[in-house]
Amino acid sequence: VNEAIQQLNGAVNLILPELALLATVCLMFFAAPFLVSERGEAPVGLKHRWGWLSLTALALAAWFWWNGSLVPRSTGPFVSDQLTWYVRGLTLAAGFVLVLLQWNQADDSRAAECHASLLAILAGADLVAAANDLVGLFVALELVSIPTYLFLLLPRRDAPAQEATLKYFLLSIFSSAFVLFGMSYLYGATGTTNLMAIHTAFASGIELSHSPLIAVATVMLIAGLGFRLTAVPFHFYAPDVFQGAPTSAAAMLSFIPKVVGLVAILRLIMPATGGDSQVHSWMMTPAAIPLLWWLTAVTMFVGNLMALMQTDIRRLLAFSSVSHAGYMLIGLVIGMQGSGQVNGFAATLFYLPVYGAMTLGVFAVLIAAARSDKRIESFDDLAGLSRTKPALALMLVIFLFSLAGLPPTAGFLGKFNLFVAAWSQALESSRLLACLLGVNAALGAWYYLKLIGVMYLRDPVDRSGDVRPMDVPAVVAAIVCLAVTIGLFFTPGPLWGHVQALVK
Amino acid sequence: MPSLFVVMIFLPAMAAALLLLLDAKAPPERARWTALLATIATCLVSLGVASQFFAQPEATADQRGPVHPRMELRQTWLDVTGGGAASTGIRLEFYLGMDGISLAMILLTTVLTISAVLVSWTAIKERSAEFYASLLILETGLIGVFCAFDLLLFYVFFEFTLIPLFFLVGIWGGPLRRYAAGKFFIYTLSGSVITLLGLIWLVIESSKIALAHGVNLATPFSIPDLASLLSLHPLPEELQFTLFLMIAAGFMVKVPLFPFHTWLPLAHVEAPTAGSVLLAGVLLKLGSYGFLRLCLPMLPHACEHTGTPLIGALSVVGIIYGSLCALAQNDIKKLVAYSSVAHLGFCMLGIFALNTEGVSGGVLQMINHGLSTGALFCIVGMFYERYHTRQLTELGGLASKLPLLGVAMVFTSFASIGLPGLNGFVGEVLCLIGMFRRDPIYAILGAAGVVLGAWYLLGVLQKAFFGTLLEPGHSSHGHGDHHEPIADLNAREIAALAPLLVLCAYLGLFPQPTLDLIRPDVEAVTKLYDEVRATKPTKLAAVEMPRPSGVPAVKNGEDRP
Repeated sequence: VNEAIQQLNGAVNLILPELALLATVCLMFFAAPFLVSERGEAPVGLKHRWGWLSLTALALAAWFWWNGSLVPRSTGPFVSDQLTWYVRGLTLAAGFVLVLLQWNQADDSRAAECHASLLAILAGADLVAAANDLVGLFVALELVSIPTYLFLLLPRRDAPAQEATLKYFLLSIFSSAFVLFGMSYLYGATGTTNLMAIHTAFASGIELSHSPLIAVATVMLIAGLGFRLTAVPFHFYAPDVFQGAPTSAAAMLSFIPKVVGLVAILRLIMPATGGDSQVHSWMMTPAAIPLLWWLTAVTMFVGNLMALMQTDIRRLLAFSSVSHAGYMLIGLVIGMQGSGQVNGFAATLFYLPVYGAMTLGVFAVLIAAARSDKRIESFDDLAGLSRTKPALALMLVIFLFSLAGLPPTAGFLGKFNLFVAAWSQALESSRLLACLLGVNAALGAWYYLKLIGVMYLRDPVDRSGDVRPMDVPAVVAAIVCLAVTIGLFFTPGPLWGHVQALVK
Repeated sequence: MPSLFVVMIFLPAMAAALLLLLDAKAPPERARWTALLATIATCLVSLGVASQFFAQPEATADQRGPVHPRMELRQTWLDVTGGGAASTGIRLEFYLGMDGISLAMILLTTVLTISAVLVSWTAIKERSAEFYASLLILETGLIGVFCAFDLLLFYVFFEFTLIPLFFLVGIWGGPLRRYAAGKFFIYTLSGSVITLLGLIWLVIESSKIALAHGVNLATPFSIPDLASLLSLHPLPEELQFTLFLMIAAGFMVKVPLFPFHTWLPLAHVEAPTAGSVLLAGVLLKLGSYGFLRLCLPMLPHACEHTGTPLIGALSVVGIIYGSLCALAQNDIKKLVAYSSVAHLGFCMLGIFALNTEGVSGGVLQMINHGLSTGALFCIVGMFYERYHTRQLTELGGLASKLPLLGVAMVFTSFASIGLPGLNGFVGEVLCLIGMFRRDPIYAILGAAGVVLGAWYLLGVLQKAFFGTLLEPGHSSHGHGDHHEPIADLNAREIAALAPLLVLCAYLGLFPQPTLDLIRPDVEAVTKLYDEVRATKPTKLAAVEMPRPSGVPAVKNGEDRP
């Protein structure tokens, strides 16, 4: 019994940041009903107090994260290696921004549940990075999904939000079933659910990776996780959900699920990270690479071509997030085939925070620029923003140029690293991917430019009825994202150093 | 003392930030004075940098590689392969430098920007703070391109110039401005993405070569280091061929060479005057400068065997086609835009002659075209402001009504045509001499463009400036009777044109100082080609006349006037 308690203590020590977040979640869910009257009325300004509590919880989690120690991967239920450390930092930073975006989105009576859902999602994302077991991984994935349903619906309970939630709910359940199916086959083939043990099993027998069970498992896992990444053809929900969901929820969906999906795939295919093992000792199945290659190519093209046709900003951003998922998958495909002078995984892991900063920044500006009566939906709502709100327009322009991959923004360096990784590998297929990335970068520029054109080249819409005060938290979030987007261009060294150390 | 140089690059951007962030709603008055002071200050700083440049000792021919900045400033940006400072790997740097060619181009940029601000003085009434901010940001980008000696930094500035120009054309342009801005942006961006891939490939292959020969190439993105390596250990020929085509893609669009020029007339016609001046004056040169800086020193075999026939042929077609299109135009601005296609054809013809005369002529032609076409666009803008039309059929005899404008137009046209004694002549002659020694056919065909050039520009002079006075009716353009009386050039407009015209005359009469400035850098590049031809004799080499040793043929320019 003592040994079991010790083990439990050891495991708990590895996930302290998540526990801090989850404890706050419990507190919020428990306390919130007592502060709201039976008729659904709450004291004015309650949402801000919940916001501060969320920020405190995040700060506490960040403190645990910063002071936690890295331990080499073992057969325990959790792992706290460099990948975990990196993803935690990323999600906590994104968490701060998302809480700020969430600040004024929900009314006072619902704010607690919204903030709690957000924190639970962040904890789930961290746990995906910390999981060392198939079951743990699945539970962590569900810890992201289930609060997301609430998060999509709660702030705005109108018909479009309901529709969006229902769509997301059904497809998410569907994808979870795929993941579970794949995991069961993986377990069937290897006889264990521990990821470390699975990797050991693969390392010892080459014939295992050619087993049909593994092929089925691979396809199912990629399909299920492709849903999170919004990889085509699992992207169908994205435009509808982005359009119907509250803006802060759309912002969350554009980033956190992508982190989760990518990290889950990395966890499944990378035996360990850090100096203690080689990265490329195991591949799920030989079929995985062509599968992912095509997934990547199709995702980029469909995302960009569909985005070209959109007139609704959220739908456009949804397809833009699809295309960026494609870019990030490039690094994954390349990383799985060994390394050139630049590692593909590193390029993708570098792209993640860059993408996060620029896409969350866009949503932050959309929230800050919304009118009192109407949020920003069609292109027309942004017309002439440069005249009515010049500072917001300028920030949005920088984010959009970054998404298009133009200097001097981090988006440029992100794409550049992907280019170098793809090209230095000296494989025809990788170089083809680099060329496709080039084509898509040019395609993508067109619709981002269209948005910029709307803001700068068209006459402003009448905003005389607009009495909304400045949304300070959203502006702060936008400024933070801006600082990251520009800062990572000029001083990419520290982040790149971490990413390099992570995959070596 | 290279810090003045950073000031030069970022001073305009700082002024722009000041305008945008502190004074976004500034009245036009304040915005344009800020911009004018900033551009003049930048010009003075660039002169200061020039004096520092001349104070630096010049590297002798055996100390230097094909590309060698006389002044430099290096700072690590991103260590991509993560190997540390000394190891072989891919490292990006903020590598700013300056050699003779870049100095000449920078001075051209800083002078032209002053004129660009002055010609916008009254033409831009709306959103002036944003307008001048875009102009200043564009200046930073342009100076940056010429100072960048790191491949990626070069590309960064190269791409960055698209952004302010997009806004300049898109917001303050003519009726089709949004279409023009979008087309220009996407066209050039698509080209330069291919260039980026090519550059990455070039670097990756070069670092492999460095590894194979045991050379420690810590910074393969640095242009001088890369050029020195490749001059000792050239890339395999077939690879050079592919790389040349990839890297050339972006530059061919930018120059623009014949089939890729369609964005240019549109962008020029729609752009506001200042945008056209900088677009023609400096932005197009980014393409030819890119060829000169990247393709020529690094891919000698490809330039020799593919570049000359391919680019030469496209340039010749561009010269003749551009001139014929210019002849057919009724809109003077469009005419000048097509003449740019032709003039840049000469420039490329010179550069791809791959000998000292040709390349010097090409560089000179870059400067000349910047000055004379910049001035032409200024003049077109000036009478457009007066008459609100640019149609040749609606104008006539303006020289009698506006004598000063007429004099300026005649002078600039002659400079552009290439009248001996003015700058256009020296550049065109050197380009043609260079190409004649390389392959007479291209030179002979190109020379036809000189005649056509005289034809269309003299046609403009004849129709619009001489003959019977014909002014468009005032009722045709909206503000009817309230029109101010049409007056000749005022002091501001003279100030905008004078430096350009003086420089045109100076370069025409005394081209030697400029040629001396660029000669070491040009000769270092063309030296490569003597070796290429020596190792790989081709049919063309047999035709080539033996070069008189000791006295470079460039001296010819001096004796002309």
